Amino acid sequence: MVVVFGTLGYRPKSLIPTIRSTANVDKVVFYCGADKSEPNAVKSVAAAKKEVLDYCNGMHLSVDAVELEDPFDFKNIAMRIRSDIRKHKREKKEIAIFNIAGGTRPTSAAALLVCILEGIPTVYVHDVNYEEIHLPLLRIEYANVLSKEEKEILRFLINNRTKDMTEKELADSLGKHKATMNHHLKNLVADGVVRLERHPQDQRKKVVRLEESAELLLGEEP
Amino acid sequence: MRVLLSTFGLDDVDKVLCAMRALPYDQLVLIGPGSIQESDGYRRLCNLEEMSGHSVEIELIEGTEFMVLVDEISEAIERRMGGRSRGSNGHILMNISGGEKLLGDAALFAAFRMGVEAYHCDKIVTKLPVLRGATTKDMFTPSQSEMILGIGDGPQELERAYSFAGSVSRQAAERVIRELKRGGLMRSEAREGKIFVELTATGLEVLRGLRITGAGAGHGQ
Repeated sequence: MVVVFGTLGYRPKSLIPTIRSTANVDKVVFYCGADKSEPNAVKSVAAAKKEVLDYCNGMHLSVDAVELEDPFDFKNIAMRIRSDIRKHKREKKEIAIFNIAGGTRPTSAAALLVCILEGIPTVYVHDVNYEEIHLPLLRIEYANVLSKEEKEILRFLINNRTKDMTEKELADSLGKHKATMNHHLKNLVADGVVRLERHPQDQRKKVVRLEESAELLLGEEP
Repeated sequence: MRVLLSTFGLDDVDKVLCAMRALPYDQLVLIGPGSIQESDGYRRLCNLEEMSGHSVEIELIEGTEFMVLVDEISEAIERRMGGRSRGSNGHILMNISGGEKLLGDAALFAAFRMGVEAYHCDKIVTKLPVLRGATTKDMFTPSQSEMILGIGDGPQELERAYSFAGSVSRQAAERVIRELKRGGLMRSEAREGKIFVELTATGLEVLRGLRITGAGAGHGQ
């Protein structure tokens, strides 16, 4: 099954050309949403959504129109899109392209971020002539940059994010020497993935905290 | 010195202010088109910075195409950057939330390319998953980088291309070419009885990234 992903704002013509130009398309997934405090924006997005749905129905294409709870919440939009992309990949569906032209700025940027992290072909549509512009994105595969041990530490921290863990506790939990753990943590701090904070109960100790971006970086499902 | 680079449009003062409150910095640099200098928002930011004894610097961006913008922003980052190795670019912070959608998206792409700590600052501040200091060259082996840089912008004869992978055996060079083809970075075609290889659009983007991040020093590009 060939799937086209897209973000949608006020202009259906920013998404429909990509559906037209994709070979053997079976399904369209698009993300939309408007600032609920602005009635005109809500109305315009609803009209654009209806037009894309009408087009897909007319073409007998399966369609998922995802209404975003908050189209300005960058992180949650990115997490949602990444989760959907991964679900489609697991189901062995071919994601032909992601059109990131429409929607709010955070929605478009979150979609681009996911395309970079997941290696999805990405396209923009020109504002005036609706011409498609394919972006030569390179998949940023951090698996080649982080060491096996660093990834193991990050995964452990993600799975235990509610606990206040010191460097020593982390070393004990993962069966590593304290000096080894110190070496890996220094690298992760330098990379900007984790930070050390004072322990809330004991000022002499430091707690290892994950930066919120670590979850997106590793792409772990919550 | 900690530099805060922020994309900026005419109506984006609040987004820049959000970044200024959330992120530690010494120098504010706005990235945007020339018209921002005439805006009230720009004057307001200048006033605020003057109150703290600083000034606002501008990196003017003139492109209207996505990849041109990415290149311009990458060059702006490069001008402000010190070291290049992984974990060394802690003094540059990038806020991508200001300006036109195209500018913000291009800044996000440039941040990944250059390995710069990046944030989306709006109502919520979100740190983006960029590994500080990890650039395009970290995604490839030295032989792969050498091959990409050697092939460069135009097609090259396959026989000649084998020599671009550095001082490795022919067999190893063949493997490098297979890897790059499999990764969608290179393609080959037969012309006038000879086989030529060239970089795809994605391969050319990698080439630009390698050149900008300094991996191309030995190739005179």
